[in-house]
Amino acid sequence: MSKGAFLIARNNGHIDYVKQAVFLAKRIKKYLNIPVSVATDSIGYLEDTFGTDDFDKVIWLDYTAESNKRYFFDGTLSKKSASFKNNNRASVYDLTPYDETLLMDTDYVISNDLLKSCFNSNSDFMIYKKSDDIAKVRNEREFDTISNTSVDFYWATVVYFKKTETNTIFFDLVKHIEEEWNHYRRVYQITSGLFRNDFAFSMAIHIMNGFQSGDFAQQLPGSMLYTTDKDVLWQMHDDEMMFLVQKKDYLGEYTALKTIGQTIHVMNKSSLNRIIDQEFAND
Amino acid sequence: MTKGVVVLAQNNTTDNYVEQAALLAMSLRYYNNVPISLITDDKVPDEYVSLFDKIIPIPFGDSADTSEWKVENRWKIYHASPYDETIVMDTDMLVLQNIDTWWDVLSNYEVFYTSNVLTYKGKTANTSYYRKTFIDNNLPNLFCGLHYFKKCEFAQEFYAWLELVVNNWETFYEQQLLAASRPKHVSMDVCTAIVTKILDCESDITNKVAKFPSFTHMKPYCQGWHEVQTSWQSQIGVYISKDGNTKLGNYVQTGILHYTEKDFVEKSPALERYRNLTNV
Repeated sequence: MSKGAFLIARNNGHIDYVKQAVFLAKRIKKYLNIPVSVATDSIGYLEDTFGTDDFDKVIWLDYTAESNKRYFFDGTLSKKSASFKNNNRASVYDLTPYDETLLMDTDYVISNDLLKSCFNSNSDFMIYKKSDDIAKVRNEREFDTISNTSVDFYWATVVYFKKTETNTIFFDLVKHIEEEWNHYRRVYQITSGLFRNDFAFSMAIHIMNGFQSGDFAQQLPGSMLYTTDKDVLWQMHDDEMMFLVQKKDYLGEYTALKTIGQTIHVMNKSSLNRIIDQEFAND
Repeated sequence: MTKGVVVLAQNNTTDNYVEQAALLAMSLRYYNNVPISLITDDKVPDEYVSLFDKIIPIPFGDSADTSEWKVENRWKIYHASPYDETIVMDTDMLVLQNIDTWWDVLSNYEVFYTSNVLTYKGKTANTSYYRKTFIDNNLPNLFCGLHYFKKCEFAQEFYAWLELVVNNWETFYEQQLLAASRPKHVSMDVCTAIVTKILDCESDITNKVAKFPSFTHMKPYCQGWHEVQTSWQSQIGVYISKDGNTKLGNYVQTGILHYTEKDFVEKSPALERYRNLTNV
């Protein structure tokens, strides 16, 4: 049974996801010691700028110009509107060269070996439902359910899956939900038209459970720690990270917070890329 | 040993509890082969009579003739039930599955009250919003909406106490409950909890960890929503297919649904669906 991590990197002119993928691939090798494949629409850029040595396989994705736009914050006071190329995530099931795949967002900064235990698990499909905002001053209830009266929220940020008949159905279902997004978002009481993989995966899990609470999706080890894009990743050294986290009720002010050995979903992609630039310069 | 479901229905000026009982009887009949008897002094429409095993007049006279809530007669269910083993349900409930195995579980008890109720998502409901009296007075968190008894000495004693407490509820409330969280009306749940406390029998009559027998309690503030409106029906849709499969919002319903809102019968397709399914 082949095992590996799979990343998707599609640049949008504002965020360099390819650079993040290279950075994450190095950390996956260091902490999880598994091969990493990447699917990207910027293979030329990857080859010319970073090389492909960090990857087991590099998979071609067609370039598409997306109209899905959203704001990307860089701390509480700075934001830019940019396209959001989050579609076709379910295609990873067909693209991955591995029998057992750990799918990750490129802004998921691995700093320990916790996720290695997935590969010794009996579960065929694992994902995070439990999560913790490291700032602990914001309302985390928005991640309980995908809307007030709707189904449980699951993070599509990290997903472990085996190639099985049931998982084939699951990923086909996610594709279908994406294709018919305007229908499903209404059925599941989502007011925004913006497609989100978290929501599509959550809906598909609910359907796989027979429209009830169920156990199709098992919990990934631990809890998914995250910082929002209102926080700033300020420093990084090996498994230590220093964040400036948003102060409650004091716009533009931050509290310093240091983590050691914690894998964290860093949603402020601009600050992550600044840190990666420093790390690559030091290398 | 005879087994059956019993409901007590007394119409008031605004609500047709007999019709609710008939709808409950239809849903019970559709999924189960167990008799249901109705205790009422109200006229039961001809088309509903055959749904019931027995229609029993309220015994010992109507103790709730001046009451709008009509709960004062509920202790009499023990004495009126024609069965050796009885499940008592509120009228505003639907049975959405076969409950044969529940009888096996319940037969281990002489009296059983549910103490865990569920959200429409099938999770244990946090009922603290509605249960300040219970929390403040450390009362057992029992729900009369679904309970069970078998005719026996202990159950007789339990319901004798219940009669005493219900008939003298103001005195018992004064003795047992803090003034700040003392209800201003008689509540069967509170009276039952007081009896349980007096008899020190909580562990004999409920199971705090069991997820069934239980029911889905559609009080809006225990559904785990961040934003709550006064009616759950204004927040999620009710979908009942022609073969009786029921969804509330995005969730398929099983077990027993306590819909709680009186206009559910007229707003939802439940009555029409179950009339078709049971040829009533």
